[in-house]
Amino acid sequence: MMNVDKILKKIDKIPAFPATVRKVWDIMKNPDYSMADLVTVIEYDQAITANILKMCNSAYFGVQRKVSNVRDAVVYLGQSNITRIVTAAGVTRFYRDVEGYRLTAKMLWEHSVAVALMSKILADRVYSREDPMLFTAGLVHDMGKIILGEFVFDSMQEIMNLVANHRYSFLEAEEEIIGINHAEIGGRVASNWNFPKEIIDSITYHHRPDLMKEEDSTNAWILYLADQACMMMGITGGMDELSYRGLGLIMSKFAIGHREFEENIVSLFEDLTNARELINLVDGKKKT
Amino acid sequence: MSQIVVGVSDFKISKNVQDMIVTYALGSCIAVVVYDPRAKVGGMLHFMLAESSIDKKKAMDNPAMFADTGIPLLFKSCYQMGAEKKRMIVKVAGGASILDDANFFRIGQKNITAVRKIFWKNNVLITSEDTGQNFNRTVELHMTDGRVIVRNAGGLLKEL
Repeated sequence: MMNVDKILKKIDKIPAFPATVRKVWDIMKNPDYSMADLVTVIEYDQAITANILKMCNSAYFGVQRKVSNVRDAVVYLGQSNITRIVTAAGVTRFYRDVEGYRLTAKMLWEHSVAVALMSKILADRVYSREDPMLFTAGLVHDMGKIILGEFVFDSMQEIMNLVANHRYSFLEAEEEIIGINHAEIGGRVASNWNFPKEIIDSITYHHRPDLMKEEDSTNAWILYLADQACMMMGITGGMDELSYRGLGLIMSKFAIGHREFEENIVSLFEDLTNARELINLVDGKKKT
Repeated sequence: MSQIVVGVSDFKISKNVQDMIVTYALGSCIAVVVYDPRAKVGGMLHFMLAESSIDKKKAMDNPAMFADTGIPLLFKSCYQMGAEKKRMIVKVAGGASILDDANFFRIGQKNITAVRKIFWKNNVLITSEDTGQNFNRTVELHMTDGRVIVRNAGGLLKEL
């Protein structure tokens, strides 16, 4: 498994998670957070500030008035939106073209944003649960592909042969041919970034939440279903497209029927339209 | 040649032989392509879900989102440009599914069934279709001769 060693070394080389985002998460943990502290931390980071200003007038965040500085953004966005917008503003730097999956940076980002939006819809509707960290998980759930891309590229024919002719899912083919799958790598990246354990696990198991041993696998299931919904809508994370297993267990896991699922897909379509500014944070000029 | 892009929950029609109508990344969604070779009028619908009863308000605002509201709209729009029902050639592509989703949310399969039912009820024959399986499709309609080309991400293409 020479490959796996090489891949693990590559994970260690991935740049640190932006300190500004982490500081904001820490500040937001306190329900009585100080607006002034928040503004100071964000304004110190020019890249994140610029990204926030590009996004905060997006219809998705529902701010009615024109926002042109960080102070106003923090005042009008509201607590959970601040976490979402700052995280999105900070993680775009990791996105790049991924040859192996035939993905441009923009395609992978659009898929990631769509999964984050759908995770929020499902969490709100199905569980009445508000968890901005799940949105974060959605945004970075396919980071493993950025690492694995060159290895998938080298083994493209073998992988596609297993998927096309031997009833393998793409995930299973990655494991068989390369020795590790992109979800597990994504989990390791999140672990290197010291993410909360629940988020690490949900990324690691986002294609197979049924294999998760922890008691509360809810976030992994939500991420899984959000990812599947996006695949069905054609917003896939690359040439792996829809080659992932549908888990029948989801019907009992989620008290959600066909109709409600389809209603959620309609909501996703609307959110995607409203969140254009978010999707446009990563530009589409770079080609694979 | 000018290219006309059909988005998700969207439809476009043309009677300009220079045009190419195209839609990208059909997952479980379906592209319905119609063409009248005599009038050289054609169009493409990219619908998302089978039934407008899911969200009646959305269906009013955007009938192209659903098969049962989008398909009639596509046909009527073509009639207005001189197409006739009896001459219309109908082709269908998309409706992909994730793997072994027999008991799962079968959006792709439901979409395929809905299209077939609607055309059967209206005595319209589907000339050819490329549906199901588990990959995305890009579909082109060339207005000059009604040729319909389906591609997948690997660049493989076939004529419908």
